[in-house]
Amino acid sequence: MIDPNRQTLLGSLPSSFETGPEWLRALRGRAADTLREQGLPTKRTEAWRFTPVRSVANAEFSTAEESAPSLVSTVPEGVTVRSLRQVLQAQPELLEGRLDLGGAPTHFAALNTALFSDGLWIDVPAGVAIEAPIELAHAIRTSSERGVAYPRVLITMGDHAELTLIETYAGEQVGQLTNSVIEVDLGRNAKMSHVRVHENAGLQVGRVDVRQEADSLYRSTVVTLGGALLRFDVRCLLQGKGAECQLDGAYLIDGEDHVDHHTLVEHRAAHCRSAQTYRGIVSGKGTAVFDGIVVVHRDAQKTEAHQENRNLLLSETATVHTKPHLEIDADDVVCSHGATVGSLDEDQLFYLRARGIPEELAHSMLTYAFLKSIVDRVSDEPTRVRLREALLTRIPHGDDIREVT
Amino acid sequence: MLKIEDLHVEVDGKPILKGINLEVEAGQVHAIMGPNGSGKSTLAYVLAGRDGYEVTKGRVLYKGQDLLEMAPELRAAEGLFLGFQYPVAIPGVSNIYFLKAALNAIRKHRGEDPLDAIDFMKLSKEKAALLQLPDELTKRSVNDGFSGGEKKRNEIFQMAILEPSLAVLDETDSGLDIDALKVVAEGVNALRGPDRAMLVITHYQRLLDYIVPDVVHVLIDGQIVRTGDKDLAKQLEREGYAEVRDAQQL
Repeated sequence: MIDPNRQTLLGSLPSSFETGPEWLRALRGRAADTLREQGLPTKRTEAWRFTPVRSVANAEFSTAEESAPSLVSTVPEGVTVRSLRQVLQAQPELLEGRLDLGGAPTHFAALNTALFSDGLWIDVPAGVAIEAPIELAHAIRTSSERGVAYPRVLITMGDHAELTLIETYAGEQVGQLTNSVIEVDLGRNAKMSHVRVHENAGLQVGRVDVRQEADSLYRSTVVTLGGALLRFDVRCLLQGKGAECQLDGAYLIDGEDHVDHHTLVEHRAAHCRSAQTYRGIVSGKGTAVFDGIVVVHRDAQKTEAHQENRNLLLSETATVHTKPHLEIDADDVVCSHGATVGSLDEDQLFYLRARGIPEELAHSMLTYAFLKSIVDRVSDEPTRVRLREALLTRIPHGDDIREVT
Repeated sequence: MLKIEDLHVEVDGKPILKGINLEVEAGQVHAIMGPNGSGKSTLAYVLAGRDGYEVTKGRVLYKGQDLLEMAPELRAAEGLFLGFQYPVAIPGVSNIYFLKAALNAIRKHRGEDPLDAIDFMKLSKEKAALLQLPDELTKRSVNDGFSGGEKKRNEIFQMAILEPSLAVLDETDSGLDIDALKVVAEGVNALRGPDRAMLVITHYQRLLDYIVPDVVHVLIDGQIVRTGDKDLAKQLEREGYAEVRDAQQL
């Protein structure tokens, strides 16, 4: 049955925004204007060169009623988790200036800004350190096989606040689209560990935008276990002295899946550190893209920035595009970047086989060890174990190698 | 146990082994000595089944079977062990659990039940003590961050656990100081027995003071030019490979 409410993404933009506080209507209006002017990105848009989104831009979707993620853990004392819709109705002034992605959003983030109807606001006040992770589950709740959802999450953390947030994206069907925006504001000395696990079969465009004050620490681990077309943009703005971000990624791509990671780390203040480590296995006719930019502004002296993307290609039909790059305007910095695309190490493979390990099992051991090194950097142990298990279910002979690595 | 007949091997089209004949009986220890580039490591790799070595002539029988037709893991399962000259590090793969998987793969091939965790740990502790390998080292990733000596001791530790029928030890002495050499040699000697054979490949005679061979072969330029008893090794040490080679040519 064809859903009569289906529209193209741009076609679903209203001509004017009538509800909500004035600042939000203005924000949405600007986002919609930008979209009407620029359209959705195409292959000619530099940052979207390797992301085949034309089919998404041209397709018709019906917007899901519910788009807020569900909270699947208890809310620890001291933390508030509120519905964005309710706050926008009751106390909209609390959110003014917080949902604009630090400027003028474009492309899919603009679409989310114009159209999100609900979401969550997680606030960890100054001095509150939460040990047990908060977990959010994203899943499109719509019967339409061409549903689109616009989840929106805002995380605000006061000075010295600490939080581990786990987000899982799962349960989508081929043809369904999730267009998410997560905004994070870290106060001085705040620490956040952010784990995202993507197991969806569908389409996803996701944006994470992090603003960091002095001495704050943002650690992100994104584990991608497949999806027809996944495009993630992470931007970390290191705007306070001594802030640090660590962006880790592990991806396992098979079939005809396309997984695309874009990162932008902006060093705006001195003595900040950033490290990006993305590792992936690509087989079948899968495609992986890594495009990472580190920008070091002129005043960001004593910056330390590292970028690494390593890929294992396990089939001749798999593709990797990798492009780590640096733009440095300061002179007293330590920066490094590198990318590798290769196959499993023949010496390691032979060593294992020469000890009696069957070839396929040796393959699995090396594949798993390669990705596990990323997952093992997650400090929360139960989460680490879960991520390992998630990898093992996707690797042949996973049960037989559980204890080996 | 092992019968090598007129073995010719090329690497990238270049002949390395040029007609090796060698027969090792169960219970024997044979040493293969030779200068750098003589083909010693090639022989070890061909026996273990590494890719990139083309056998152009000859054959190798192991326990009566055509060894060269077997996959590396099958050779291991049939009791062949290669002690690597340069053991590779495998970050993320646990030394001890990989070894347990290897042992159980071999046991499965023999139709034996897998060793459970408790029995395996007992075995591992016993063998680690024999090789004076710290417990902590056995639990790390395979050879990851190991010193040269630790890597070699780890090789013999693995051999002690897998209990092969035929051990090919490729320059197990290189990079070892005298104390480590003694420990490694003790580990090797502990495995000598009537059902086992060993092929000890070395550049120097020193190792053979501790692992005393039954037969010594001199490999020069891809051919075995002399075969003798342990005194041949001493003669080589005294006179050098050049003398032995020249004597051969006369």
